[in-house]
Amino acid sequence: MSDLLHFSEHTLQEIALGVMTVVYITRIIWLMRFKTGKERQPATGLRGTTMRNGVLYSWGNIAMPWAMESTRTKMFIYGQFVIFHLGVTVAIGLSFIIPYAPGLLESALLVRILQVIIGAACVMGVIRIIRRVSDLYMRAISSPDDYFALILLTVWFFFATLAVPNSTAGGEGILLTYFMLTAFFLIYVPFSKISHYLYYPFTRYYFGKTMGHRGTYPMKRVPEPRR
Amino acid sequence: MKSSNKRSHKAQKVLERFEKKLNRQIVGSLVACVHCGNCTSACHYVLANPGDPTYAPAYKADRIRRIFKRHFDWTGRVFPWWVHAKSIYTDQDLDDLKDIAFGKCTNCRRCSINCPMGVDFATFNRMARGLLVSVGVMPEGVAVVSKDQWEIGNQMGVLKEDHVETLEWLAEELEMEMNDPRATIPIDRPDCEVVYSINPREVKYDPRTISDAAKIFYATGESWTMPSEDWDMTNFGLFSGDDELGGAVARRLYEKVSELRGKKLVISECGHGYRSTRCEGPNWAGMDITDFEMESSVITMTRYIKEGRIKVDKSRNAQPVTFHDSCNNARSCGLFEEPRELLNLVCEDFREQYPNRAENYCCTGGGGAMSMSEYTPQRLKSAKIKADQLKATGAETVVTSCHNCVDGLSDLIKHYKLGMQVTQLVNLVANALVIEPRPEVPVEVAPPVAEPAELAGSKILVVDDEPDFLLFVSTVLEDNGATVLQASNGDEALKLAKAEKPDLITLDISMPGKSGIEVFEELRNTPETASIAVCIITGKPEMRQLIYNRPVPPPEGYLNKPVDEEAIMLNIRKTLKLISKE
Repeated sequence: MSDLLHFSEHTLQEIALGVMTVVYITRIIWLMRFKTGKERQPATGLRGTTMRNGVLYSWGNIAMPWAMESTRTKMFIYGQFVIFHLGVTVAIGLSFIIPYAPGLLESALLVRILQVIIGAACVMGVIRIIRRVSDLYMRAISSPDDYFALILLTVWFFFATLAVPNSTAGGEGILLTYFMLTAFFLIYVPFSKISHYLYYPFTRYYFGKTMGHRGTYPMKRVPEPRR
Repeated sequence: MKSSNKRSHKAQKVLERFEKKLNRQIVGSLVACVHCGNCTSACHYVLANPGDPTYAPAYKADRIRRIFKRHFDWTGRVFPWWVHAKSIYTDQDLDDLKDIAFGKCTNCRRCSINCPMGVDFATFNRMARGLLVSVGVMPEGVAVVSKDQWEIGNQMGVLKEDHVETLEWLAEELEMEMNDPRATIPIDRPDCEVVYSINPREVKYDPRTISDAAKIFYATGESWTMPSEDWDMTNFGLFSGDDELGGAVARRLYEKVSELRGKKLVISECGHGYRSTRCEGPNWAGMDITDFEMESSVITMTRYIKEGRIKVDKSRNAQPVTFHDSCNNARSCGLFEEPRELLNLVCEDFREQYPNRAENYCCTGGGGAMSMSEYTPQRLKSAKIKADQLKATGAETVVTSCHNCVDGLSDLIKHYKLGMQVTQLVNLVANALVIEPRPEVPVEVAPPVAEPAELAGSKILVVDDEPDFLLFVSTVLEDNGATVLQASNGDEALKLAKAEKPDLITLDISMPGKSGIEVFEELRNTPETASIAVCIITGKPEMRQLIYNRPVPPPEGYLNKPVDEEAIMLNIRKTLKLISKE
């Protein structure tokens, strides 16, 4: 292993993680500086629709594609979402496995599983890019940050897929690119739309709390009977 | 906030106030959107306008979000072009924002419940409306209605004397109908179980809902009252985003209930009224309401039936009905099972529409849209989604627990020629009511006298370009003893009005040639016809504001088409009674 690769796998990642952590903490402090609206109204709705249940339902919503019409009626897009985010999780995990637990990658089965997951996420990234570019509605709501974040992740997936075997037999290029992209990704995230996962628990918490208190969450749905 | 020399005064004020409006929930919604596009197909505006991405909720939200990004978000401040951050500079920018915030969204919150991130666009769209209103940028209708609610205390500018007079007139009718002096509408009675609050639309255009409610209270023997002042449970603050107005209006009503020492505030059927009074009002007013309860009249009526305090015969409502969930009731207050329970108690043939409950589509008249006539064409176009939904039920009547929805649905039903009727639960309950004779109070019975026809001696000019409608109204009036003159256009109407000087004119607004609005203004400006009472009967409720905005005294009566005999007679009777008093 060259010094550069070692630096990329360890020092660079640690610096990037440190920067990300500091920026994230700053961001959360910034968000918490805003007051929360006080709920004075007595609760409405059926039994079971409480603030607590609303919050739990709201947080769990993402894993319940049947709960929202927007996911229920677009299962292919929901599937893309699941695979894409699974790929993100695995590819980030890989950046820890390679430097700290490389022994795990001696299992050919595990290597294959990780490659399939990250590779599938890469394909989903391509599909998402095509959708964002070709769909009139998506184009209208997309900023350079949206395109760049998606392309960045898709390229990162590509190199992550190749980096899974953690082999330098064909040169260090793949691993170096993967780790440098990871470091860039970690530093860039807090400044881009990718930071949405930082906000997710907050937005869904407050929305779920309100909708639970108002009797809408957990949502009751009466679908059209099949004819 | 730094000021810019390039920025207009109003734009500068909006930016200064923007920061004060931000709370954690709103900031979360402003920063969390990932532009996934999931909300797009949740919006009825998008569905009815295929190929126009400017209706997409995320697109509309970004018109507000970009201001936030430019001034409060670090990436947007440094690299605005990268995240499409943009400030506002001119009054034109504010006007463009107005067209989005008021004209392309009814704040129905359907996109909010379909956002995987929990972005509540409706909430910050309301915030944007409030900011615009604070610098006087708003649709004219919003300005007029807000002014009435601030100054007169209710959003339709109903004066106390008119309100009390209408209640007294309705009480007299009820007493006659029930043949019982105890059948009345108690006004300002302290220490009652129920203080009943209403929408000003009821007293102004739809008094039957008040008399139906009174009939139900009478049948239960409930101890109830209606306030003579501060009775409006609607709140234009919800639509205009003006929290100060919202707080002031809510506070007036809460204080009135406390003053009357009422035990429960019952809110008549109105989606935004229920949400404003029951849910948002305490927050806007900064009051914790502890000395009385608040509930929807839907829950009150259901309880009366279940407790056996009233009996109903559902066979009296045999026609197929469907139920439209008001967005404010169902999506923002969780009130969707209760109306269904009541419907099943009073109707024989209830049919669901799909989607329903919290997923229902907006009537398209929500968010104050009915008062913004400049956006009527796009509102009616977007109503196609709701129209298709209603049509698919095969029902003859659509029931809703919201006055705004009544107007919005009536409008789209006419526009899409669905031939359906719109009614409210209170009307169905009153219709199904089986009133058992209460122990009689001995009264002296006067010898029977042959009563003259009700409108005998009255000369009424009926103006409408639809021959069928002209014939229908004329027949109703003639059957009740009136001498009827007919005109099918504006010029003819003016000629007859000058020549015959009728006691009353019923006037259509939309007619070929001279419109009803022009005729009305000319009648008022011509000395010999200025004092003739006018009752507007129109199929275009969105034109209502145009009539009331004229620089002449308002019409004495108003009715929305379609109308039935009962509605015509109620309105004509009231109008003629007003004239005779004057």
